[in-house]
Amino acid sequence: MSKMASLFRPAKLDLGGFKNIRVIRDHNKRIAIEQTEPERQALRYIIRNTSLPARARAQAQLQLSQMHPYTRPTQVKNRCVDSGTARSVFRTFRINRFQFRMQALAGELPGVKKASW
Amino acid sequence: MFALPVRSVARAATRLKVPGSLRPLSSHPQPSPSQPQQQTPPPVDVPPRSAIQSAETEQPAEQPVKEWADRLGALGENTRLPRSVQAIYMRPLRRRAEHGLPVCDLQLRSYSVRNVEFYADFAIRAAYYLNLPVSGPIPLPRIVERWTVPRSNFVHKKSQENFERITLRRLIQIKDGDLQAVEAWLAFLRKYAFYGVGMKANVWQHESLEVGKAMDASVADIGKSLGADLAQFGLRKGSSADRVNTIFDNLDNERFKERRDI
Repeated sequence: MSKMASLFRPAKLDLGGFKNIRVIRDHNKRIAIEQTEPERQALRYIIRNTSLPARARAQAQLQLSQMHPYTRPTQVKNRCVDSGTARSVFRTFRINRFQFRMQALAGELPGVKKASW
Repeated sequence: MFALPVRSVARAATRLKVPGSLRPLSSHPQPSPSQPQQQTPPPVDVPPRSAIQSAETEQPAEQPVKEWADRLGALGENTRLPRSVQAIYMRPLRRRAEHGLPVCDLQLRSYSVRNVEFYADFAIRAAYYLNLPVSGPIPLPRIVERWTVPRSNFVHKKSQENFERITLRRLIQIKDGDLQAVEAWLAFLRKYAFYGVGMKANVWQHESLEVGKAMDASVADIGKSLGADLAQFGLRKGSSADRVNTIFDNLDNERFKERRDI
C-alpha cells in the first residue's frame, strides 16, 4: 500500500501554501483519483450493467475492489490552505475558520467585514 | 501668535506681484502691502494668455482698472470648458433605442458602491460614444453572505463573531446595437477594467426568419469538418478505429496493468 502510494506522488512537489505530510498526502490522493477516474468509471459501469455476463461483472467487482484506496474519491478531504487543518474549512476561501477570522480582521479577504444587524 | 498669519499674508502679497504668466495684469493701481486682504490668491488654472490680452485690449485706456475678483469672474463668464469635458460633470448622455431589442446584458459586481457606480457610469458614457442605446444601470439585489465564527477554541463556543460580504450588482442593457459595436464596447471595458469590479456579459444575436433553411444548407459542411472527430468518438486520442477491443482488453493493457501489479 505504501509503495503503491509513492506511484501517485509527483517527482517534484507541486504545492503552494502551507505544507505538511497530511496536506501532501491529500494532494497525492487527488492526483491518484484524477489519473484513475476513467478506469473506475468503466468498472463501475460493468458492475452495474445487468445485461453483461455475470462472470464479467464479478471480474470487474474484483478489479475495482483491488484498486488502491487512494483512487477512491471519498478519500479526499478539503484542508486549510494556510494551516493544513481539516476541520471547519470554508469552501469559498479554502481556509480554516480561525484563519478566516484572522485574515478577515486584517482585511485580507476582499469585501469581508464585521457584520452587525 | 497673532503676528504669524499677518506675516504669511504679507509674504503672499509680495509673491503675488510677479506671477509668471499674469504679468500683463499685474499693473495694479495700488499694489500696496497695507491692504493685502483684498487681493485674491492666484488662480489655480491659468487661463490662456490670448484671452487675457483680448480682454485687456477691449478696455479703453481711460477706464479705471477693475479689481482682481471682478476680472477673474469675468474670465469665468467668457470662457468655458470643452463640451466633452463639461459633459463629465453632468448626467451621462444616452442614445434613443429605436426598437428596444436587447442585444447585450452586462452585469457589474463589486464589494464597494463607489467602484461599481463609477464603472457603470463609465460604461454608459462609453456606450454613448459608440452609438449604442443603453438602459441602466439597473441595481440588482445585493448578495449578502454571512459567516459566524467562534472567537477562539471550541470550549468558548459562546463567544462568536459575525462576518459578512455584500456583493453589489448593476445591470447595463444594450438595446438594438450593432454586434460589432457591442463587441468593441465590451473590449474597451475590458481594457480599462476598474479595480475591484467584476464583469460578465450575455450577448444575443438575432437571425432572420430563414434560420432553418440556412442551418440545413450548412449541414454538409459541418459533417465534413466534424467527420474526423466523430470517427474518434469513444476512443482515445492516439488509437485508430480498426483497433477496437473489448473493455477488458482496454483495462488489461499496459496503462492500467502497471498499477495493478504492484
